[in-house]
This record gives sequence, structure tokens and C-alpha cells, in this order.
Amino acid sequence: MNSPVLSPTIRRIVLEAVILSVLACVVGLGLNFKLVFNAFSGQAVSDTPVVDTMSKALTQDKEIEDGLLFPFPVSMGELDEFLADGALLIDSRSVEDYHSGHLAGAVSLPLGSLDAQLEDFKQKVPLERMLITYCSGYGCPDSFELGVRLLEEGYQEVMVYEGGYPEWRDAGKPVEKADQ
Amino acid sequence: MTIIGKITYHASRLILAGVFIYAGAVKANDIQDFAGQIANYQILPYAWNYLVAATLPYLELLCGLLLLLNMRVRPAVLVLFALNLIFILALLSAVVRGFDIDCGCFKPDAQQPTTPLAALWRDLGLAVLMIAVWLLRYAQMPKEID
Repeated sequence: MNSPVLSPTIRRIVLEAVILSVLACVVGLGLNFKLVFNAFSGQAVSDTPVVDTMSKALTQDKEIEDGLLFPFPVSMGELDEFLADGALLIDSRSVEDYHSGHLAGAVSLPLGSLDAQLEDFKQKVPLERMLITYCSGYGCPDSFELGVRLLEEGYQEVMVYEGGYPEWRDAGKPVEKADQ
Repeated sequence: MTIIGKITYHASRLILAGVFIYAGAVKANDIQDFAGQIANYQILPYAWNYLVAATLPYLELLCGLLLLLNMRVRPAVLVLFALNLIFILALLSAVVRGFDIDCGCFKPDAQQPTTPLAALWRDLGLAVLMIAVWLLRYAQMPKEID
């Protein structure tokens, strides 16, 4: 059936454009299937998480002592288990972001004001407590850097939840606002 | 078509090819970083950022290659024009919401990030080139399929 609006040439161009798009999507999904699957199933997004990338960048950018520890990455799927074991969630974003919404039960410890708050934090939270830092999801380095700092301060179990607030919120997990 | 028309057509086509092959290649090289850049716009649900990041670079690459090879030019330009419209809408939403983010148009960890407003002007310029390529391609071979 011929469309009265589109000429055969235009319809052919549109059809080829659609085929191009489908082809590119198939190639992209084929090459990155695991990444996309993990993202939709709430698992760590790849075998080489941001923590690895960040640790490499850190070792290249700064002179660091041998044996410096890096926080271990945890996925959303693993987070519930650690929280049940008594882990403390730490929001490394700004106070404003924390007030607008954070993971239920998380405490605010912005990386930017860490020096000012660290002593108070250490008095309230024992070094043996398991800590899980997070920030604004993938591409946000603050949670990793906060994790490194907390390990340097003597905390023994520090992990990073890379999906952060956006993944948690979009998965329908419990979130809170600061005034709740 | 006049010689000026031919020069304009090929110059526009090659500029677009270069821009989108480069953009697609650097994004495809680091899909996770690109997903983070898309997430900064706060438009899509979290996991969908990865779906877009996994497919969009290959669409840009494919269309850029077709433009470079001067094959299936109008289908490629149509796809890129549609993408460009989506980019412009996303950038507009970032500007309106006052987001101070890197546009994520090219290299994800660029030393000098491009603001959404600057990227908006660049995308409008690319749209003009796309329209030029479409029209001049038609003038060159109006009865051809492509």
C-alpha cells in the first residue's frame, strides 16, 4: 500500500535508516551484553569496575606507599546481605544531595568536608564496623576516594557500592529524605 | 550541481563523518564512562543509561563510516539528524535545569569539559551540515534510491 505522504524514495530511506539503527543496536548489544545485563539485573556492571580504574588512576597520579588498601566493590544484589550483617551506609555526596534523598539508613559524610567531620565520625563509629560508601552512581569517584581515606584512618572493612543512589532509587529500594 | 555545490556537499559530508566516527570511537572505547555521562543528565532510569551507552556509539560509528564512504548517505544523515534532535533536547533540558555537567559528546574524561550550552550550539551547527548534505545529495542524484 502506497503512502499518500511519503514518496517511494523517502520510504526507502526511512526503511534503510531503521535497518541501520537495528544493526547498530545488535552490534552494540552483542559486544556489551554482559554490561547491559548486569546493569538491568542489579549486579556490578563489569568485571573491571570503577574501583579498578580509580585505583590505577590513583597509583599513577600520586606517590603512594606500598600496601595501600583499596575499598572492595559491592553490587546492589550483595548490599542487602551486608546491611543485614550490620554494615553502615555512608553517603559521600554533598549535604544538599543527601537532604534531597539518600539510601535508607545512610549517614552523610561528604568527601569535601571529610577533614572537618572525621574525628567526630571516628568517635561515633568503631574501627571494626563494616562501612559501605556510595555517591551518584557510576562515574562518581567520591565514594572510592572516601573509602580509601577511611581505610587509611584504620577502618578494616570498607566497601564501595558503585551503583550509588541512582541505581538504588530506580530499583525501587527504600530511600529517605533528611527530614524523615 | 555546480562545483560550489559539490565542494559544499563533500566538505559537509566529510566533516560529519569525522565528527561522528571520532565521537563513536571514543565512546565505544569506554562504555561505562559514557553511561556515567548519560546518567548525569538524570533523564533515564539508571540501567537504561547502560543500554543507550552500549548501542549509541555503534550507531554513530556506522553512520559516520557510511558518510565517509559516500554510501547510503541519506539514510545515515536521517539517523544522525534524529540523534542530533535527541541530543539537542537533552542538552536543552540540562540547560533549563541548570546542570553544570560535561555534555558527554566526545571523550568522557576530557580535560576541558564542554558545557551543555556550548554543545547545544555545536549540535545546531551539525544540524545545518546534515540538512546541507541531505539537500545536496538529492540535487546530485534525485532519482537514486540513496
